[in-house]
Amino acid sequence: MASLFASAGAERQKPSEALFRFACAAAATLLMTALAGIVVSLAIGGWPAFRAFGPAFLFTATWNPVTEVYGAAGPIVGTLLTASIALGFALPLALGVAIFLVEFCPAPLAAPLAVAIELLAGIPSIVYGMWGLFVLAPWFAEHVQLPIALSTVPGSWADAFFSGTPNGANIFTAALVLAVMILPYMAAVFRELFLTVPPQVREAAYGLGCTPLEVVRSITIPSVRRGMIGVIMLGLGRALGETMAVTFIIGNAHAMPRSLFDGGATIASTIANEFTEATGALHEASLVALGLILFLMTFGVLALARTLLRTDDR
Amino acid sequence: MPMTAPELITEPDPAKVVLETRGLDFFYGETQALFGVDLAVERNRITALIGPSGCGKSTLLRAINRIYALYPGQRAEGTIRLDGEDILATTHLSALRARIGMVFQKPTPFPMSIYDNVAFGVRLADKKPKAEMDGIVEHALRRAALWDEVKDQLAKSGLGLSGGQQQRLCVARGLAVSPQVLLLDEPASALDPISTAKLEQTLFELKRDVTIVMVTHNLQQASRISDHTGFLYLGRMVEFGPTDALFSKPRSTQTRDYLTGRFG
Repeated sequence: MASLFASAGAERQKPSEALFRFACAAAATLLMTALAGIVVSLAIGGWPAFRAFGPAFLFTATWNPVTEVYGAAGPIVGTLLTASIALGFALPLALGVAIFLVEFCPAPLAAPLAVAIELLAGIPSIVYGMWGLFVLAPWFAEHVQLPIALSTVPGSWADAFFSGTPNGANIFTAALVLAVMILPYMAAVFRELFLTVPPQVREAAYGLGCTPLEVVRSITIPSVRRGMIGVIMLGLGRALGETMAVTFIIGNAHAMPRSLFDGGATIASTIANEFTEATGALHEASLVALGLILFLMTFGVLALARTLLRTDDR
Repeated sequence: MPMTAPELITEPDPAKVVLETRGLDFFYGETQALFGVDLAVERNRITALIGPSGCGKSTLLRAINRIYALYPGQRAEGTIRLDGEDILATTHLSALRARIGMVFQKPTPFPMSIYDNVAFGVRLADKKPKAEMDGIVEHALRRAALWDEVKDQLAKSGLGLSGGQQQRLCVARGLAVSPQVLLLDEPASALDPISTAKLEQTLFELKRDVTIVMVTHNLQQASRISDHTGFLYLGRMVEFGPTDALFSKPRSTQTRDYLTGRFG
């Protein structure tokens, strides 16, 4: 450790400099230790589940506290499905909002709108969850699920998308709530990103005879490609880990979801629902193992973002 | 490099004027930045605009290609004519801007390859076969004196070039669309002396087929390469005439004071 704290120019250092260096290094060390501690304790806590079920823990969807048989495939699929559908809805909308604010919005409106979007991004997730449960779910059940259920033939291809109890609490509505949640956040950061494109570069493009669409497509978006990947991944990370809003509306069914309109569960909602009720040691270990899987998934998303950013350097 | 054209430069000949402003007023919201500016730019000449910071030189350029129209609240009144056509009246801004190229103080390469940077403006107008586009790109880069430095790395990003190369890339990008007029806003102010010399050489050779209007803070630069010079002060065109005459025998005391460094 000594070499870390005594580098170049040591002879003209005051004690305060050394202390400052030490304090910064200590803060960094503390963070790394905490991270390692979380990984290690998740691994140790989840180990009994991995030992009992082996790789099947990842690939089976049985979740039965009575017989003490657990498989994580249902929540894993639920997590990936809700997060990616949410991203699919939120990304184009967020881009549209940000581009409108930067390129087309009349000046007197731009600032208040930007503030409003940041306020939306700050609404606690449980509020979104309540809105989903009390407003979105009943509306969705009555105006979307029921008509579809009545007009499609059971056993047809439509089952893969639309079968399920028409109560509005399902994978799809959970994804919608998630999309509404991450939309303002992504729009706000996209806007900030677009504002970093130097006005001269945009003027140069307009100066060559570009239309606004051509400027956005050829100049603005490519200029901040790297940052945009970061924003997308952060939005995805937030959608993957979001707990309360999803728990409210996803239906909390442990089986593998049979369709988009079927109840399901995500990793986070499963843990939130069951942790206080986990009596058996294997039940608790399985929940901790779920936590480790979620951690690794989020870590994987971030790692993927980094890799994409690196290849973007060329 | 050649210092001045051998021919005697006189006041702009009305028959050769390609671009002119008459009584041009310009407003940033409530603030008036230009007051009745008259300017006559002769074909295939370099016209320099000099004056202290904030005198309206850049504003005048921004009025000419109507880039100010991007910003609500900015407006121009008076007349600007390009080949007799009233620029302030036209609604075809994209077409207008394709005829008037602009190079900015700081290099503004686009986030794409060197080749695509140059081809960008051409592609906006129409799709050309690859071979023809190759020729246009090479010709533009040659005229901007950048070809020899980048011919082996056309697929690399334009952002990776040095500042001087980026600026010449921007000149090439402007030239590729064959504009009638090229506007340059202090194109050399962010460049080192060698890059500046190369850029000046480039501009000097370009005037065979393009009319150039450039804003510069560098009086030596104006006297070296321009044919006509306008001195702006507080938003008014104080003096305009052949560069040699303006620098050696300024008619106005304000011009003389500025040239001798008494203000600005």
